[in-house]
Amino acid sequence: MSKRVMVVDDSRLVRVQLEDVLEGTDYEVAAYCRSGEEAIEQYAAVKPDLVTMDIIMRGMDGLDAAEIILKNHPDARIVMVSSLAYGDTFERAKAIGARGFVEKPFHQEQLVRVFGEALS
Amino acid sequence: MNTAMTREELEQILDRALQEVTERTAGVRLHQGDRPLGTDLCTVHITFDKGFSTSLTLCADTGLLARMAGNSFHEDTVTPEDLEEFSKEYFNVLCGKVAGAMFQATQVPAHFGPPTFYHGRYEPEDREAQFVLTYCDEHSEGAQLIHHVARPHGESAAAGDEKEEIG
Repeated sequence: MSKRVMVVDDSRLVRVQLEDVLEGTDYEVAAYCRSGEEAIEQYAAVKPDLVTMDIIMRGMDGLDAAEIILKNHPDARIVMVSSLAYGDTFERAKAIGARGFVEKPFHQEQLVRVFGEALS
Repeated sequence: MNTAMTREELEQILDRALQEVTERTAGVRLHQGDRPLGTDLCTVHITFDKGFSTSLTLCADTGLLARMAGNSFHEDTVTPEDLEEFSKEYFNVLCGKVAGAMFQATQVPAHFGPPTFYHGRYEPEDREAQFVLTYCDEHSEGAQLIHHVARPHGESAAAGDEKEEIG
């Protein structure tokens, strides 16, 4: 049975790329949220196995959204998918409990490996 | 902490990031050349708001960005909204790649906000171009990646291979 992924990203490009990359894998996109606020609202209803979270978004950024989701749902598995995979951003993601970090532009092997580690 | 980087080092970082992100995101190979851009242009722009007081601008032939967007979205034709959305996300990823490489070189984290998109050529008022990398593709459409620095007060802009404090 496929693992259900909730994608949080304000870019349609990333949604298309994730759908392409996850085709034929054990993961499927279950929901798509365009903002951190929407992700916080939707998480309980969607109950995803995994969340991919962008960082730079209009409104609340992905790190703040991930922190709130993890506070409300400590068992949430969140992987940051961002172009900001370095320095203090990377450290903060780890500190708030993100299970992994995938740098854009991503490729299938990298994404599936990090997803697997986040769910293990 | 080493916050110095030569212009040549920065050009290499920008060039490598642009070529990699363009090919991986849109399947388009760009190479450096001096072909002038056309008249139908779009611009995306970001300002580094922490660590580096610089900004990056990509000014490109609309046809090139539209083809890249079509490749990425798997669509033969793209709407103006597709074009803007693609351009902003593509440039966001490109700038992230640049910022990551700059961090590796200097240990100074660089943050930037969401890119801004413009139809036509946009040049930030309070900044001046330090250098321009010009690219074209196999369809003879092109793009310019422009590194802007704050306009100096009564001084000429830094140039050449002198070390610059960028942090």
